[in-house]
Amino acid sequence: MRTEGDAALVRRVLGGDTGAYAGLVARYRDRLGRYAVRMLGNAADAEEAVQDAFVRGYRSLGRCVPPERFGAWLFAILVNRCRTLGAQRARRERTVVSEEAVVERASVEHTAADDAWRDAIAWALAQLTAEQREAFVLKYVEELSYEEMSELTGAGISALKMRVARARDELRRLLEDQHG
Amino acid sequence: MDERDPLIDRAIETLREPVRLDPSMDQRIMAELERGPAPRAGTQPLWAAWDWLRRGRSVTVSPLGGLAAAAALAALILVGQWGAARLNDSAPPAAALEAAAVQFVLVAPGASTVTVVGDFNDWSATATPLRRAPGDGLWAVSVPLPPGRYRYGFLVDGAQWVKDPAAPPALEDDFGRPNSVVTVRGS
Repeated sequence: MRTEGDAALVRRVLGGDTGAYAGLVARYRDRLGRYAVRMLGNAADAEEAVQDAFVRGYRSLGRCVPPERFGAWLFAILVNRCRTLGAQRARRERTVVSEEAVVERASVEHTAADDAWRDAIAWALAQLTAEQREAFVLKYVEELSYEEMSELTGAGISALKMRVARARDELRRLLEDQHG
Repeated sequence: MDERDPLIDRAIETLREPVRLDPSMDQRIMAELERGPAPRAGTQPLWAAWDWLRRGRSVTVSPLGGLAAAAALAALILVGQWGAARLNDSAPPAAALEAAAVQFVLVAPGASTVTVVGDFNDWSATATPLRRAPGDGLWAVSVPLPPGRYRYGFLVDGAQWVKDPAAPPALEDDFGRPNSVVTVRGS
């Protein structure tokens, strides 16, 4: 089956075919969803962030230049939505819980041990600072280079490396406490 | 730093597993799009009204670490009303507002690139580059902003975050980054 590239879909949307945006939503929802869940720790906030990013991306689509870069451009919007939502949530002092790994369990059967491990990781990730969590997820889950991370976050490469290192140390300590 | 670590490697492998959000989210997104304006192609270059010769206040700031520049000056100038596309999707509808051309200026003689990064451009590190003026290391760009309060900073050479010394700092800073704030008032 032949699929249209991002640039073609973006041009169709800008040409007035709003429905073409559904193709972009379908293409990127899962990648964005994974990042948002890892960053925000629960499906409700993640869906809010992803939906918000797609809507903002649509409204600002004329500024997506070149249109071939739509995926990276949209991802940058999501990163910022997650920052904003994460900060709002922190201000509400709502405790992050790991139960939201349920969204992953919906389609895959896991053993109790698997579930405990997933809960432990989600909990440990939530214990990191927002900066550390962001750096760790961008580096190891999204597999971005430090240069790409720097462009995305505005932070210097040395600072990002430090955040990643501290995130690794902290995650190791937290996971060893639980699974050591 | 990236040494092999079985426990961390296992955690990363788990975190890379796909996540499936509510399938109905797609429909909610498309329904939301129908409720607002359609995007417009061909957004005007932001320096269409670039006018750094407009005089604004300047202040001396401390040296920019990591830059060859010995010092930096910055000014933020409201250069007048400019009816233009809104850049902030969280702002009130553009039809109800007139955007003001806000000039962001940074003097950074040693810089190769400078961008302004803020909530008005979804914190994009690349969307709003400043243009270097001849001599003196002056960088500037005019950005049309509807009335509202905006947080921002400058990104020098794609790596160094610099607040605007001529503007007040943002009190709330999600990541401890030194943001500045500008308030655009309606006419």
